[in-house]
Amino acid sequence: MLEVAKQAVEAAKRGGADYADARVVTAETESLTVRNQEMEGVDRSTSEGIGIRVLVNGYWGFAATARLEDADIARTAEQAVAIAKAASRLPREPVELSAVEPAVATWHGPMQEDPFTVSIEEKVALLMEASRRMQLVKGVAFAESSLDFWRDRVRFASSEGAAIDQTTVHSGGGIEATTVGEGELQRRSFPNSFRGHVAAAGWEHIARLGLLEEAERTATEAVELLQAKECPSEVTKLVIDSGQVELQIHESIGHAVELDRVLGMEESYAGSSFVRPDDRGKLRYASDLVSIMADATLKGGLGTFAYDHEGVPAQRVPIIVDGLFQDFISSRETAPVIGQTSSGAMRADGWQALPLIRMTNVSIEPREGTLAEIIGDTKDGIFMSTNSSWSIDDHRVNFQFGCEIAWRIKDGRLTEMYRNPNYTGITTEFWGSCDAVGGREDWMLWGTPNCGKGQPSQTARVGHGAAPARFRDVRVGVR
Amino acid sequence: MPGPIGPDEVRGVVRPALELPGVDGVEVLFMHEWGGLTRFADSAIHQSTWSEDTGLRVRVVKGGRIGVAATNDFSGDGARKAAETAREIAEVVAPDPEFPGLAPPAPVAERADAYDEATAATSPEHRAEAVAALVAQCSDGFRASGAFETMAVEVGLANSEGQFCFAPSTQASLTTVINGGEGGNGFAEVFDARVDQIDPEAVGRRAAGKARDGQNPRDLDPGTYRVVLEPSAVSTLAGFLAYMGFGGRMILEGRSCFTAKEGQSVAAPSISIYDDATAPGTLGIPFDFEGVPRRRVDLIVDGVFRGGVYDMRTAKQAGKGSTGHALPPPNPEGPFPLNLFMEPGDATLEEMIAATDRGVLVTRFHYSNIVHQVESTITGMTRDGTFLIEDGEVKYPVKNFRFTQSILEALQNTAMVGRDTELASEFFFSASRVPALAIERFTFTGRSDH
Repeated sequence: MLEVAKQAVEAAKRGGADYADARVVTAETESLTVRNQEMEGVDRSTSEGIGIRVLVNGYWGFAATARLEDADIARTAEQAVAIAKAASRLPREPVELSAVEPAVATWHGPMQEDPFTVSIEEKVALLMEASRRMQLVKGVAFAESSLDFWRDRVRFASSEGAAIDQTTVHSGGGIEATTVGEGELQRRSFPNSFRGHVAAAGWEHIARLGLLEEAERTATEAVELLQAKECPSEVTKLVIDSGQVELQIHESIGHAVELDRVLGMEESYAGSSFVRPDDRGKLRYASDLVSIMADATLKGGLGTFAYDHEGVPAQRVPIIVDGLFQDFISSRETAPVIGQTSSGAMRADGWQALPLIRMTNVSIEPREGTLAEIIGDTKDGIFMSTNSSWSIDDHRVNFQFGCEIAWRIKDGRLTEMYRNPNYTGITTEFWGSCDAVGGREDWMLWGTPNCGKGQPSQTARVGHGAAPARFRDVRVGVR
Repeated sequence: MPGPIGPDEVRGVVRPALELPGVDGVEVLFMHEWGGLTRFADSAIHQSTWSEDTGLRVRVVKGGRIGVAATNDFSGDGARKAAETAREIAEVVAPDPEFPGLAPPAPVAERADAYDEATAATSPEHRAEAVAALVAQCSDGFRASGAFETMAVEVGLANSEGQFCFAPSTQASLTTVINGGEGGNGFAEVFDARVDQIDPEAVGRRAAGKARDGQNPRDLDPGTYRVVLEPSAVSTLAGFLAYMGFGGRMILEGRSCFTAKEGQSVAAPSISIYDDATAPGTLGIPFDFEGVPRRRVDLIVDGVFRGGVYDMRTAKQAGKGSTGHALPPPNPEGPFPLNLFMEPGDATLEEMIAATDRGVLVTRFHYSNIVHQVESTITGMTRDGTFLIEDGEVKYPVKNFRFTQSILEALQNTAMVGRDTELASEFFFSASRVPALAIERFTFTGRSDH
């Protein structure tokens, strides 16, 4: 199939492209859901096709098809060129690509046991048992367990001579207990919400999750939440667990430092960013405890690869160092606009989609202490765990997050449980108020498998390493 | 470039799947999508794409057990292999005691106006010209961004019970945000089945006008205000009601804001909401993803909740008939309304503003999400044109607010309903045809810096 990609590149060049690249992608997915020990669905999908991207006189064109016969590839390449030519109807500064050494490489993401070879029976048995254990807890209305697997093989060729064959496997699983009361619905999930914890790994990741071991506690907390008080409305110290820090990073840092957003390329859909190119080295983004890295080389992350979808090698990029904003994540097109080379962050959602700047593994660097020690060091505050809801404005400034569960921290101990907790803030004020970041012991490389961006809309799987953290003067219990 | 496939070829391709031996039933959902999207930013085209894909999603039933497999190999061999994979799955999973069977043969109404050849074949040059016409509406110092998409879809459903339905359709949509000057944004969008109904100059004029009016937005304290919501903002309320409330499964399971409220008043008497994929004014297909004909379903009539939407499985559980609202299998979320309408009233937008002593005019909401599902409470931001109304007039633009608000409470407090409706999108959901609303009390809980 790498030859097919090369064939497409040649066709595009013959059609008039100054630059061309092509990706032949074979994507496999498997998804299983059990609810109350009944099958909600088992689904296997395969998709294969080619996306051809061209530059003609500095204007982009892109066309994609599932038809891989010679004539179809030639026709699709011609269509990409025609699209690029049409784009010149509105003059703009011609695109210039940052330099990259054309790579010829084959890479497989690390995996011990191929999840697609594990029998459906074994998977269903695990999910049934997890569901059963949750249902043993009286009061649970819905006991859901799920597994998801993805395998993507991407063959990339460019007119500069790159020829890269990469395969990634992502595996995830989770459990969720739901309780329903009078006008009230509570959920508790493990290891994370929205179908659990996804990693760049094989079946061995599922075996390590501990879905069975945590089923009873998860269900018990869901039951207890129904009787808990509403989270009070106040301004307080807030401790959030690593799963919530993950999404806080994702929404208020990761998206904000995508250079295409900063340059207005996503303006009309998901919005832009408050961060400006000349903020590098100047903007006080967070307290000096906060350092953020975008690291595509991190083992096990959903944003881990050898080369991005422009053939740029994976990199480790400092985003925030000791609270000071340092750099963006970028592409071959956007980086030269600010005098840089690409950070290697371009990925596409399948063969049908144009690569966009996507987060790699955007992670907070661990500092010191466990979650228990951070709570123990807090005289009065609120501890929230596990994201349930997120919202942020079109410049990534004003945010509001909901969590599944919270407790009052009193004199270093968790006391009263609260339901429906949420908090709100302004990005730089919030991160500037960070006065504790946990250490390596409770640092976790989470996966966010549902990151939306672009038109037509694309979904990316990205990674976030996160530790529990504490913030001062946070408004909680927004109603 | 490739065009329609048509029902005859689809029948031939899916036949090997339908003839799969050793099973009790087979259903094949066919989808073929093709089209282009011209995306622009800073008043120039920066991302422009075209794609075509064909998918087969096969559901196999064996002894009450269900397996689903999908492929984009649109061939008889591809269909057969997907069916075999689905059979392998069905042979090892647990039975579904609620499985209602596959859809029986039933006639499906045709929507002759749903497919427009010119829209399906729109060239990138045509889209670029339209974007240029839109961009030309920007004054000096302003710039436009957005997307112009023209696409065609063929959906077909065949099952071993003998049901076969097929529907081609097209869609053209143009959306833009114009900004510049001293910090004002404007937004406009339009959808239609026919590309010749898209007027890019009108879309550009509307967004440019908003951007000009939105210059130098001022701070306004958050709090509870009377609001006038333009249709794009109302579509967020409608979309989240669909997501949190109208689905039959959620209602049955007590997870909906409408659970146990059938026959009860849930909104002001001026509010009526229905779903109808077959009506003019929406972009729908006349059958659902298990082959049941779609029909109009009255959800809220004169403020009273009448009932939700159902697929075959939830209809069986509820002791009702399917309303034709199944999503593609497997679908743990249950049925969903994709073509909502809110009945218009008799007020113009100007009359709603004139009737407001002090309030906020909202163009649209952004990135909303659930706060409390059963209370229908969501949070989100205003975007692209938020204005203070005083003494019946729009006074000045204000910086964007965060709202945290129960949708049903807002609908209960609706004072006026607009006479004109628009097909308006929501960030996460399909478009709804809705009017503007004037709502007496709407809670803004925070604000941003722009």
